[in-house]
Amino acid sequence: MSFFSSVRAALRRVRGTIDPGSGSDDDIRAELDAHLEMATAENIRRGMAPDEARRRALLDSGGLTLASEAVRDQRGLPWLESIVADIRYASRTLRHAPVFTAIVVITLGLGIGANTAIFSVVRGVLLKGLPHRDANRLVYLRQSTDKPDGANLSFSVPEVHDLRSGAPALGTLAEYSPMTYTLEGENSVRVNVGLVTGNFFETMGLSAILGRMTRPSDDGPGVPPVMVLTEQFWRQRFGADPNVVGTTVKLDGQSVPIIGVVQAAPWFPDAVDGFLNMVVSPHHLSAQMIQGRTHRMTQIVARLAPGVSLRDARTQVGSVYARMQRDHREAYDSTSHYRVAVIPFKEALGERARLTLWLLMAAAAFVLIISAANVVNLTLMRGVRREAELVVRAALGAGVGRLRRLLLVENLILTVMGAIVGVALAFGGVKLLVGLAARYSPRASEIGVDYVVLAFALALSVLLALLLSFVAFVPREGTLASIVNAGLRRMAGSLSRQRVQRALVVAQVAVSVVLLAGAGLLTRSMIELSDVSTGLQSEQMLTFSLTLMKFAAPAGNTDNMSFFRSILAADVHVKQQYNQMEQEIRALPGVLDVGIGSQAPLRASDQWLIKFDGKPTAVGEALPSADMRSADPSYFRASGIPLLQGREFNDTDRLGSERVAIVNRTFVERYYPNETPIGKHIALTGEVLQFTPLSGDWRTIVGVVGNTQDGGLDQPPRAAMFFPRAQELSFGGSFVIRSNGDPSLLKPAVTRIVHGIAPTGAIQNMMTVAQIKDQSIAPRRLNAELISSLGMLAVLIATVGIAGVLAFSVSTRTQEIGIRMSLGADRGRVERMILWEGGLLLVVGLVLGIAGAYFGTLVLRGLLFGVAPHDPATFIGVALGMAVVGLTACWIPALRASRVDPAVAMRGA
Amino acid sequence: MAEKLEVHQGTLALMILKTLEGLGPLHGYGIARRIEEVSKFRLSLNYGTLYPALLKLEQEGYIKAEWRQSENNRRAKYYGLTPAGRKQLARETREWNQTADLIAAFLAPKREAP
Repeated sequence: MSFFSSVRAALRRVRGTIDPGSGSDDDIRAELDAHLEMATAENIRRGMAPDEARRRALLDSGGLTLASEAVRDQRGLPWLESIVADIRYASRTLRHAPVFTAIVVITLGLGIGANTAIFSVVRGVLLKGLPHRDANRLVYLRQSTDKPDGANLSFSVPEVHDLRSGAPALGTLAEYSPMTYTLEGENSVRVNVGLVTGNFFETMGLSAILGRMTRPSDDGPGVPPVMVLTEQFWRQRFGADPNVVGTTVKLDGQSVPIIGVVQAAPWFPDAVDGFLNMVVSPHHLSAQMIQGRTHRMTQIVARLAPGVSLRDARTQVGSVYARMQRDHREAYDSTSHYRVAVIPFKEALGERARLTLWLLMAAAAFVLIISAANVVNLTLMRGVRREAELVVRAALGAGVGRLRRLLLVENLILTVMGAIVGVALAFGGVKLLVGLAARYSPRASEIGVDYVVLAFALALSVLLALLLSFVAFVPREGTLASIVNAGLRRMAGSLSRQRVQRALVVAQVAVSVVLLAGAGLLTRSMIELSDVSTGLQSEQMLTFSLTLMKFAAPAGNTDNMSFFRSILAADVHVKQQYNQMEQEIRALPGVLDVGIGSQAPLRASDQWLIKFDGKPTAVGEALPSADMRSADPSYFRASGIPLLQGREFNDTDRLGSERVAIVNRTFVERYYPNETPIGKHIALTGEVLQFTPLSGDWRTIVGVVGNTQDGGLDQPPRAAMFFPRAQELSFGGSFVIRSNGDPSLLKPAVTRIVHGIAPTGAIQNMMTVAQIKDQSIAPRRLNAELISSLGMLAVLIATVGIAGVLAFSVSTRTQEIGIRMSLGADRGRVERMILWEGGLLLVVGLVLGIAGAYFGTLVLRGLLFGVAPHDPATFIGVALGMAVVGLTACWIPALRASRVDPAVAMRGA
Repeated sequence: MAEKLEVHQGTLALMILKTLEGLGPLHGYGIARRIEEVSKFRLSLNYGTLYPALLKLEQEGYIKAEWRQSENNRRAKYYGLTPAGRKQLARETREWNQTADLIAAFLAPKREAP
């Protein structure tokens, strides 16, 4: 038989199963009859008597019924036929129980939806393969210390050199140094770029979608600068222009040709808009940079050498690093625990999201468990009502296997419908979750409901259907007679089944409690966090930052000193621009005060090494450091930062006058714990002074101000020192505008003023203080909200479960209750009896839940703020809340039980 | 009476196709009679063997069925060969002959000792 004819035959048989058409039973019968008649006629022709002729013909036929059976089996697919019958039967049954069907489908839909949505995020952010070629060979190197801000130090050029020459297991090692420039044009923006070595893209395993990538010939001084755009930035800024290669952009005044666009990929550790070769930044090629071991500006990505394991790479890097520390004690003080980690790139990408996402996944799984428990309970209860039907079907010869299959088909219809609802919900939920994921992962754009996610939802529904079919009652062979004899109705609510139901209710309560405890702790963290004082006396302010200084130098310039001279010259002009803006903004209606500093309050700044006059640091001890910020005379007043001692800056703190500084309270507590800091001298120190235009001169402390939460609300306050803007270079600038109304209303006027004075100036982060605070709290709030909604959902479903099981128990005990009441039990007593029944389940569930939460909340530790994982208040609150909700759920069936009319109940028996 | 033989499904299909090729469209009874005659009544076909085989050939697209008036004014379902059926017949005949030759060669008395 040829392939096509067998396919055609199979298709026809499938069709024949569902719609017999011309090969219908009548058709077959007519054909067989015709045959019989012809045979009879022939026999008569041969001289038989008519009766005998027909008898012979029938005998030869081999049985008409048998024959039509055989034809029918050939017509369709017998096994498919019975499944189609099952599906028809099951859908009819479900149509007759619309409430049951709706509850099950919605419950499962919510459970499957939550899981599908969160799974699609987990898959996109943590599980999916990376677009990089052989991504599992990529590693990210991280140097860190215990010092504040020491979580990721980057590497210095000498460190990179040592690793490259000492650890051949790292194969090719690419450097990447994050920078920010102003991309000038009609609509100037600050762009985050990576300065990369020529081997960067080859190492990363990424290719061009347009033009070419950087290559080793783009390294070193004396080459022209080039830029590679990221796919994202190419779309967003250049409208995916296919002719973008060959055009030039202006970065901080320097013209750079675009040579290519790199394929879409997640960027780490920061999102970037493009890549440049190192020549763009003279500083990166300067002698100071190349020789300064503590001047760390470079991230490292490496592609492991062929055949080398991650373990080999870690061993080699470890020994190279130990040697570096031995040879250069001055660069790695022993108290700060310098260390290097070699992390698979994919792991590094998922690092920040991992805990949050698995937590959400677990919470969603809990919700699914609870909804599945509910559906199992519903099925059990419904099963009791259906037992009679099933027993009769079994007694009529349906066979236990056939009954099981029927139930499975029915459950599959239910769960697949649930999955459809769930996937629809997931499509909506995923959009919401992408926003959350974007805060934790560079891979948020990869999230989507794809076929793997759909397969996941389908697998969940099939699993659930199997589970449901497993717990359902099916009469056992050999017990049918006894059941039928017992009069079918007697068997309702057997003890073992009730036990299963109760266990499920206990489990639901317990799981809800665990979930609620987690939600409670996260919510309390969020509240604690929003209660943290910013350190500002009033928060009615608009802030923004604006960088007017240009850092790109003419091509080929690698001399830091001449670079500095050009910056010094530009500084005068830049400062005039800032001052003019300040004056014009001050004149705006509604503006109370304006100040300029290097950073707005509540924004982080870099730490610098410092020294104290007369207090040398012991050898081997970590050098003291503090955040360095600059401020103009009105900055503290405009920001609402309180002056605690001494004076603020004033107009006499000019270039050429005595260098002064103001420090914050943490600075005093850390470095002058028992003395007055006013009049003391501090200075910047360290290698860094060789390659910055900052001065290492002594500065006199003239004032002390209050702390502000510059590192984020959840971080400890940082030691900070402020220098007068007039005495320092104006690297960057941030405006603080205090208003007497809604500060966000000032945005358009302020933007106009800035662009009027500096048309190519790129305004960044124009935000009110309220928005900055919100930005700091938002990730935790979103977390708390998500887990809380899942917790609420769990409690809701569990409540329905408790009430349902009790109500069912009441309905099977109507008779017993009737007897009790006719024997003198009053309503209160009956009510208490049912409440006690439910209360017991609740208590057991609560105890198990609290015990589970005791261990479960430990994994939350990293996400909590200002609250311990075993916070008694939260635990008690959760237990009380669950108890109240649970008892309310018990009350309804209890009330119903107490309303039982003894006469009716007895008669109904 | 000689012992009647059971007929194999595949063989039956070939016999049906060959019968229809020789005699043109025919009803089930006619096909059965013809096969019995050709086999000199060593084969006997009951309905439960014949009609599923006919339906299967129809599903495979090798024959086509239609209700028609028979020679003595009875309504009967006539089966006719389709072009695909003709090709299939040729193919099966070839394969059958090859198999028969092969088996014959195997069963022929051997001259050499093994």
